Amino acid sequence: MKNPLLIVRALSLIPFPRASFSSFAIKNVTKSNFESSLADLRGHVRDSDFVAIDLEMTGVTSAPWREMFEFDRFDVRYLKVKDSADKFAVVQFGVCPFRWDAVKKSFVAHPHNFYVFPRQEVGGDDTSYEFLCQTSSIDFLAKYQFDFNVCIKEGISYLSRAHEDEARLQLHSTHEDALTESQCAAKETKDVPLVRMADILFVERMRNKISTWHDDLLQIRNGGSGRTSQDSTDSVNQFQTIFFKMRPAIKLNGYTSRQQRLIKSVVEKSFKDLAYIRVNDGSCFQQMIVYTDSGRDLELLMKEVKGNLLKEAEMKIGAAIGFRHVIDLLSSEQKLIVGHNCFLDIAHVCRKFVGPLPSKLEEYVMLAHKNFPYIIDTKILLNANNILQLKMKKSSTSLAKAFAIMCPHIASGVGSSGLASSVAVEVQVDDMISSNWNSGAKHEAGYDAFMTGCIFAQACNHLGVDFTSDSTLMNEEKLKNYINLLYLSWSSGDIVDIKTGATATESSAFNSFKTSQKIIFPNIVVIWGFSSKLKAREIKDIICKVFGLTSVTSIYHLDKTAVFVQFNQPELVSEFLELISQIEKKKNDAIYVLHPLSELLEGGSTRSACYEVYKEICASPISKVLFADQAEAVNINLNTKLLKSKAQENGSFVNLESPIDTKTAETKQQIKSSPPGSNDPRGEMLDIVSC
Amino acid sequence: MLRKRFFSTQTPPSSFTLNPKPQNTNIRRPNWAITQVTKSNFTNSVTKLKNLISDSDYIAVSLQKTGTYSSPWHRILPFDTAETAYLKAKYAAEKFQIFQLAVCPFSVVRGSTNKIIAHPFNFHLFPRDELKIGMPCYSFSCQPSYLASMAREDFDFNFCIYDGISYLSRAQESAAKRQIGNPVSSGYVPQSPSSRSVADNVFVERIKSRIGNWINACKRSDTKTDDALVNSLRKLILGGEDYGSRPSLNIDVCSERQVQLVFEMVKSHYDNVVPLTISLKGGGTQAVRVVLTSSKEDRYLLENELQDVEEEQSKRVRGFREVIDLISTSQKPVIAHNSLNEFTVIHSKFLSPLPPTMDEFKSSLHSAFPNIIDVDHLMKGIGPLNKYTNLTAAISYLKKHFFAPIEIEIPHEASMEESKNHGHNVVRISELFAKLCFIQKITPQTELQNPNGPSTLKQYSNVFSLDSNDFQGSSETDDISLWTQNPKKISINTLVFLWGFRSGISAGKLKNLLCKSHDMLSEDHVFDVWLVDKSCAVVVFWKNGVSEWFLNAINSGDGLGELVADGMMAAGYEAYKKVCRSEILGMDLADSLGEIDTVSGDHKEESAEVYWNSELMINFDDL
Repeated sequence: MKNPLLIVRALSLIPFPRASFSSFAIKNVTKSNFESSLADLRGHVRDSDFVAIDLEMTGVTSAPWREMFEFDRFDVRYLKVKDSADKFAVVQFGVCPFRWDAVKKSFVAHPHNFYVFPRQEVGGDDTSYEFLCQTSSIDFLAKYQFDFNVCIKEGISYLSRAHEDEARLQLHSTHEDALTESQCAAKETKDVPLVRMADILFVERMRNKISTWHDDLLQIRNGGSGRTSQDSTDSVNQFQTIFFKMRPAIKLNGYTSRQQRLIKSVVEKSFKDLAYIRVNDGSCFQQMIVYTDSGRDLELLMKEVKGNLLKEAEMKIGAAIGFRHVIDLLSSEQKLIVGHNCFLDIAHVCRKFVGPLPSKLEEYVMLAHKNFPYIIDTKILLNANNILQLKMKKSSTSLAKAFAIMCPHIASGVGSSGLASSVAVEVQVDDMISSNWNSGAKHEAGYDAFMTGCIFAQACNHLGVDFTSDSTLMNEEKLKNYINLLYLSWSSGDIVDIKTGATATESSAFNSFKTSQKIIFPNIVVIWGFSSKLKAREIKDIICKVFGLTSVTSIYHLDKTAVFVQFNQPELVSEFLELISQIEKKKNDAIYVLHPLSELLEGGSTRSACYEVYKEICASPISKVLFADQAEAVNINLNTKLLKSKAQENGSFVNLESPIDTKTAETKQQIKSSPPGSNDPRGEMLDIVSC
Repeated sequence: MLRKRFFSTQTPPSSFTLNPKPQNTNIRRPNWAITQVTKSNFTNSVTKLKNLISDSDYIAVSLQKTGTYSSPWHRILPFDTAETAYLKAKYAAEKFQIFQLAVCPFSVVRGSTNKIIAHPFNFHLFPRDELKIGMPCYSFSCQPSYLASMAREDFDFNFCIYDGISYLSRAQESAAKRQIGNPVSSGYVPQSPSSRSVADNVFVERIKSRIGNWINACKRSDTKTDDALVNSLRKLILGGEDYGSRPSLNIDVCSERQVQLVFEMVKSHYDNVVPLTISLKGGGTQAVRVVLTSSKEDRYLLENELQDVEEEQSKRVRGFREVIDLISTSQKPVIAHNSLNEFTVIHSKFLSPLPPTMDEFKSSLHSAFPNIIDVDHLMKGIGPLNKYTNLTAAISYLKKHFFAPIEIEIPHEASMEESKNHGHNVVRISELFAKLCFIQKITPQTELQNPNGPSTLKQYSNVFSLDSNDFQGSSETDDISLWTQNPKKISINTLVFLWGFRSGISAGKLKNLLCKSHDMLSEDHVFDVWLVDKSCAVVVFWKNGVSEWFLNAINSGDGLGELVADGMMAAGYEAYKKVCRSEILGMDLADSLGEIDTVSGDHKEESAEVYWNSELMINFDDL
């Protein structure tokens, strides 16, 4: 195997004889071409062997301390992902179906780049929605020339399933109300008070005009000729008689909403056989007055009009589904979904297109699995498999790096010709076909999805997966160990099984140097609000002065005014918290002024709590930049929490999570689904880690 | 009078035609040359703007944000008091980001034709973290429907995000300076050296002799041409290093007091030595660096150099805020529209975080902008129609009803493509202001010449107009009925928030439901109901005491058992205030009210009143 780097270098030096990069643009999909693209995509997805996806979001973390920390338990990590999916918007969605062509002996890929924008067109108030942007993420997108104008002006909107159901429910209940509501009941309440002289005059004038029109109408019906046009005043002429549902009617144009209400009340009060209705006239609502023969006819008309309104509203809801059609397609076709480090992506998909995310990881996993039964993460694949690890040569598994190493023939545009071990990928965009396509637009969702798919195809090839066999990829024995495993957090190697909800920590050579210690959550206190001059070392010294030299096993900064402190015994947590609250109470006593901990409490805004409080703070929808401000804002009653935690300390630890022993989890793919509370943490040996 | 004569009849003629011509359906964008400013032409534009500001009488400002409110009830509503209105404005200002800020220095010229001479600049902003210190803002919210409407007006988001100017607020700037930790020469004001302790004296003497030795050594090495090795050895021993081309020495200090002492000592004993402080990252002073200069002239040279460096650096740090500082230091009257919302944004992004109460906000803002005039408020002076909160609507209203032609002269040329020509509102504000002054016979010139005398314009300054009701701070609310049409002064104690009914019910039906529930409520004109959003309504009781009875009845279940059984809940205004004060206002008011502890809602007697305007109440049905 040649060194891919050399190839790249060679390419840049020698002008390649045949036009090496076919440079037609990726398929960009916006509002205007969505319908037709969706129709094409349906076919491609149905025929595909797998579908690669990638998302671009407006941000990842809503506060610096919401980044993944080493001291985050699985449930806390999920809360952080949930917060991200709740707050940020998806602005680009890459979908790339891959199909194995047995004749050409290559994959055919159809990369699509959808611009998505959450214009909520129906369902609740369309203004009552907002999303967050992380400044650095927006800046990042701008660096890669993301077109915000296209996204906002032309982006495809969507409606989640939950929103759709809600909108339909609402629609039907109001429709039923409208049907049962008797005419007089409406009259009773909808009176507009005539407070202004102008209103009174206007109402009188309208009454006269409508009455003239009404009388004329009756005269014509009764065989009379009506008044000739010479007789009629100019203004009456402006009432042009049209026909609505076979009934004579007049359109009302150019009135203010207040005037419309006044007209409505006049019609309902003074004319038994006229109906004031509102119909949807293409783009806008049209008000009109319709003549009806009888009370029964009026009822019939109203029912018809309301029925039409309902139908229109239902169509509008249907039309608002928008981009969700693509998700429904992926979900219903039950294809293998391939992503790169895609836990957050999948969470976004569920949040945006299915419904609100549950607060517990286990429940979320069920929701995700129900919609996407087969997910494979190329990052897991590359890190977990020995053959692939060898191929990657311990290089970074970032998407672009992995693509360059795994698929040099595509990345450099050489085509598959020279390299026997590589899988050929042919790209098809509309009518254009290329076997060495490379748009090169990194961090564009469509291209990223394409790269992900290529990596997966190449990885399968290295694993010896036979593409020609009839069995589908998700039943492939060689992939079985990786399917539905996602990184909850890549940096810590925390893996979750989307199928079972089981969690484990991967301990590959790559990240073992980081986690040389055990993290025991009941032994942890969180301290915040101290002076930013205090560093981990000083905090450790302060605490050790009180609780003994070996009492603190490790300290980890959340941000400059907040730390995790792990004690060597769980009892120390309650002792520490109790001592702090005592000092707080008797701040001015001479004994406490000289107390070592008073340095930590300087400034009066230092607070501390056990790990469960930290989890609660993470679960809050609030996001302040500093953790100390966040904790203050969440404002959970710390005192009651402290008491509760004390009760737990005094009792047993049965209810608390077992420690996650990062060192002993040597088995790479074996998932350990330990029921919480099965171990007694007091029996554990502890590492003393200097800070 | 200025009113057009035919309009003096009571009834507007337009109401009589049956198909009145649509008015201003196609308001085309006026062709005003507005200088569009981004990163590339920022420095140039600021220099221009500086001169224009000092030559103009007024400065109009207008801004474009990424959203206005995230839920219908977050808007400032007729039943909001000054305090809750401020809290809502604060909430929005902290959430949303500012994308454009247009500044327009202008003067009003009276003559045969009245005209304004305006110089509009439109600054594109983006809170890029230029200094990599996590400022000015980590994240911001967007309201998609608002962005979409901006897009329909051809707002260029790429222009803003790619090339927008960044900024830091005043509060952030001081934090950033500490964080960056460059040497700073100024900042130490010599204090009286009266109270020096023994330790201080010992310290000063030690430093003094150390610096003396170092200077001698430097001078000695200057005269002789030693070889490089000896020179570097000497440097190593003396602990000195070069600062640019000049020798320097670092002196460690352990307190700000010691910094002070070193500065004093150097200034009084060594003419040719310049002291600098070196900050610790994250605050505090780590060391004092003294730099030796060869002569007095050289010292001045170095000091100037340092000043330039500092200036350059602080310019870089301030970014766009320089413009705000220019406006602030000019002390010229600032003309705005929708000022409460605009200035909460300006305060939070460019001055400092917003204080928790309206009064603190007003005094803090006053120190930076002593004279703010809201055109909405001026607008109310001319008549009852206070619903023209939209600028173009207000201008066309004036055009129709008053004869006050104002010519707009924009002297400078801006060579910008039409599609990127934004920031017209700031010119509209200038125009509207001039028109309103003219109609109401306020002569702007005399105002300026006599700023302290009794002035007509003065009564308009620093009054924050809310969308629908006015206040001049909670204390002075006497002349308010002048401004609104037919306002009913109602105490906030007569308001009750009601929720727990079926979502989507109409106000009329809800009223019927309440009418039927009890004899007390079945009479006419006891109460009125308006929906705040789809799940919460506000009920006004027109008779004293009924609201208390109602709240009691709902909370205890006595008398209104049926409503309570249906899940109806109610709370007084205190609960609403609490909701407005909370960290997250929440999507539905009902949910937020439900979470507030209603038990503590003892009605304190407060003077706070809201002005209920029947005109606006009708519009509630449209919510």
